[in-house]
Parts: sequence; structure tokens; C-alpha cells
Amino acid sequence: MKMQDAEDKTPTACCIFHIPKFIQMKKIPILLILLITSLVSSGQVRTFQGDESMLYAQTKQINQFYRRFNGEEDVTGKRLYKTDGEFHSQKLRNKYLNILFDLSSPLITKDKRDVFILDVNSKKDPLFLDFHANNWFAEVSSEFKLDGKQIHMILYFRLEKERQGYKWVLSNIHCNAFEKYFNHVGDSVSGENFLHPMSHELDFMNLRKMFANPANIGYYLEKEYYPDQLALFLKEYQDGNLKFVSSNNVKFHFFQIPNWYFEVSYFNRSQNNSGWLISNLVRVNDQEKKEIIRNYTHE
Amino acid sequence: MKRTMVFVGLILFSATLFSQGNDDLSPQRKQAIDSLALEKVRDLSKYISIIGNKDTQWSEAQRVIERAIELFMPGSEMGVSSLSKPEVHYYKVREYFDRLMQLNYDRVVIDWYKIQYVSDLERQPDGTYVGVITVFQRFQGYDKEKGLVYEDTTKKDITVYVKRKETQIGGRMIGFWDVLLGDIRVKETSK
Repeated sequence: MKMQDAEDKTPTACCIFHIPKFIQMKKIPILLILLITSLVSSGQVRTFQGDESMLYAQTKQINQFYRRFNGEEDVTGKRLYKTDGEFHSQKLRNKYLNILFDLSSPLITKDKRDVFILDVNSKKDPLFLDFHANNWFAEVSSEFKLDGKQIHMILYFRLEKERQGYKWVLSNIHCNAFEKYFNHVGDSVSGENFLHPMSHELDFMNLRKMFANPANIGYYLEKEYYPDQLALFLKEYQDGNLKFVSSNNVKFHFFQIPNWYFEVSYFNRSQNNSGWLISNLVRVNDQEKKEIIRNYTHE
Repeated sequence: MKRTMVFVGLILFSATLFSQGNDDLSPQRKQAIDSLALEKVRDLSKYISIIGNKDTQWSEAQRVIERAIELFMPGSEMGVSSLSKPEVHYYKVREYFDRLMQLNYDRVVIDWYKIQYVSDLERQPDGTYVGVITVFQRFQGYDKEKGLVYEDTTKKDITVYVKRKETQIGGRMIGFWDVLLGDIRVKETSK
């Protein structure tokens, strides 16, 4: 019944469309059906009458970025499935791939873009993005309070399979405030700060020297050690020193296309070239890719 | 009331068609679920327009807020940001509707864009399907003397949860898809 109350506010067909009285009297059935249909579909909702072409062109969700990149959406925005003729078609993809870049970015030259599109959309060996596959990450800029002081932090997430579905999991974080704990980590020369190679014979009694100055502890770590800010994050959060305030900007990093890395960001602007677009594109070999991926995971 | 019953009956009937077979969604089934989800989003749009309308009486707005809240999963939130304040501010849905009702304008006009984008449905670990529907809304606030004093266009990314459920009707178990709305990200678009 309460639902009915809300619906009772619906204006009548006559007051919306100003139907002349003689037409009302005649009750032309077709017209009535048309009017009722349009009322049922619009209800109380006022529809914007302006130009929406920019919003159609905009890549509105990452889901749509995937569809357009892979050629899984037709030009009217309708989802294409495997049984549809245009699904993954080279022609359709070529159209979409060209509009999936931030065209104002000085980081992406036309030549680089063209080479990338040729690589991705070749007739012989086309390459597609896979939502469920590894090697893409979300980067979320966030604000926290650490001991009452507002700090900026970057959270990295990746998709992980669990039971019947998937979930985003926190794979790493980056925080400038934590960097001070990793002084001298990876330094190639340790100066006077090392445990000599016969320390074991002395039952490591010289550990006193290692722990004499906290600022130098990084010199004593193995060179392969990779700073794990995520562990610090967990400690500070669980000790109650770190409080979440808000998230703001989101980006995505893609490593799924061999020999390429690209970044996708949201462009909030009144242009056709807006929404989720490729904001950076770099040619990388496998080794470089592995190194970059380490930034997004603490492995 | 009769009309509501017929409508519920139709949903149950159509939903049973789609609830047979395995858990993978065929394109036809997905399209049918999209329609159910879009129906909820249209209801929400309608409720927002009524709640925001200055001609709506307080008691009626309260009733509509209750109806609107029934569309949502418990605990759902609105995450709102503007061009001047990009950080996300969180509001429980009730709080959001209350604020909408109390906005200090003499007249409010809410227009909904025709365009809507419906994502694929992905399964979360418990098997529930999750999707996102994107809609756009223009808001205009008028002052009696100064005329139009505030205007914005927002992109609303609305979480949609879709769960298979069963109910007993006339001794038979009938499967149907239950659609509920979840968190909504409200982002002001550039002018």
C-alpha cells in the first residue's frame, strides 16, 4: 500500500502531454496505449532532454574498457557474445582501441599507440584482456591518520579466486612515512657496518655492534631483501595507530599484453575522449615487467 | 494492490524460466536479470525524484524513504565526491535520503539521463552475482529570488547484487532471482 502512495504522485497523461479535450473524449485507443506505455516506462522520472552523445562515447566503467578493448560491445553499446558475428572482430576492435587512449597525453605518441594496436589487434595472433587473469592491479590513493596526523597512502589490490567467485585482495601498500624504516636497504656498500665472515665462530657476540645504531640496521640485511611496507601497515593498523579516512583516486596497471605495460586512469572531462582511458603506455621486456610487478605485490 | 500482485507474479514467472540449469548465466538469462536490476534502479530514480521534490509532504517523503531503503542490502552506503572535494564522503543510504529531503532550496529539479550502462555480472566468493549499473543525473536547486543557485551532474555507479532464491508457491518450489541494490558511488562530472 505504501508503494501505492509513491505512485499516486504520478501526473496523469493529460497534464503531461496537454491532450486536447476532443481527443480525450474520443479516447483513441492507439494513442492511449502509446501514452500509457510511455508513462509506465518513465514513471515519476524526468528525463534529461539534452545531448548525451558525449556520455555514450565515454568509457564509463572498467568493465566497458574491457569490452571495448576486446571488441565485445557494438557501436550502440550493446553487449556482444561469442555467437554474435562482430564479437572480437578486428574491424570493431580497431575502432575502439583508437579511442581508448587519453589523446591529450604527451606520454603516448601516435607512433607508439599505432604499434601497440598493431600488436594487440593483429589478424594472426590477436591479444585480449582477461578480467580473471593475473597481472593487472588496482591502485587506490587513500588518506589515513597515523598517530593523529593525516598521511597519504597508496593501496594496491589484485583479483583472487575464492570458492565460487572472485574478490579484490590487498597485495601491497606504499607510504612515504614508512620509507624511513628502510634506510640503506639494498645499498651496495655497507661501509663499516657489517658482521665479519668469522662472526659465527664467536657465537655472533658482535651483534651488539649491529644493534648499536637503529639508523644503520638496513646495512645488515641481505641484498635481496625487498621492503615489506604491507607488514608495517598491518602492525600500525592493528595497534590502532592507523585509521582509514577516505579513498580518492583509482588507477589500474595492466601487464597482460606481452612486451607492454599500460596504465588506465579516469578522465572526468566534458569530451568524447573521457572516462577510463590508457594514460601511460611503455614497452617493457619480461625482466622489467617482473621488476615493476614487484611494486604491486610484496613478493 | 492487485496490480502489484500481478507484477510480482510476472517476475516470479519470468524468473523461474531463468532459474533452471547450472549457475552459468546465458546471455538471455543475463539480459533478463539486467531488466530486473534496471527496474530497481528506475524505482530508485523515481524515489530520489520524489524525495528531492519540494512539493512532497514530509510524511510522504518519509514513506518513500522507507520504500527506497527496501531496495538496498542492509549496510549499503553512498560514497560521494565533488569536483572541489575529490575525497569520498560516506553516507548511509537513509542519511543520504534525509539530507536530500532537507536540502535548502525553494525548488529542486532532478533529471535523469536516458543513457545507462550495465556491467557484466561477476560472482563473489559466496556465489552471489555482483554487477554495477551506471546512470547520470542532473540536479538543479532554485531560490525564489535568485533563481538557479546550484547545478550539478553526477555519475552514479550503483552496485547490484543478484542471488538465486527459492520460494514455495502452491506446494511447488519456485526459483527466482532476487535483486538488491548495494553501495553507490556518486561522482560529480566535469561541467
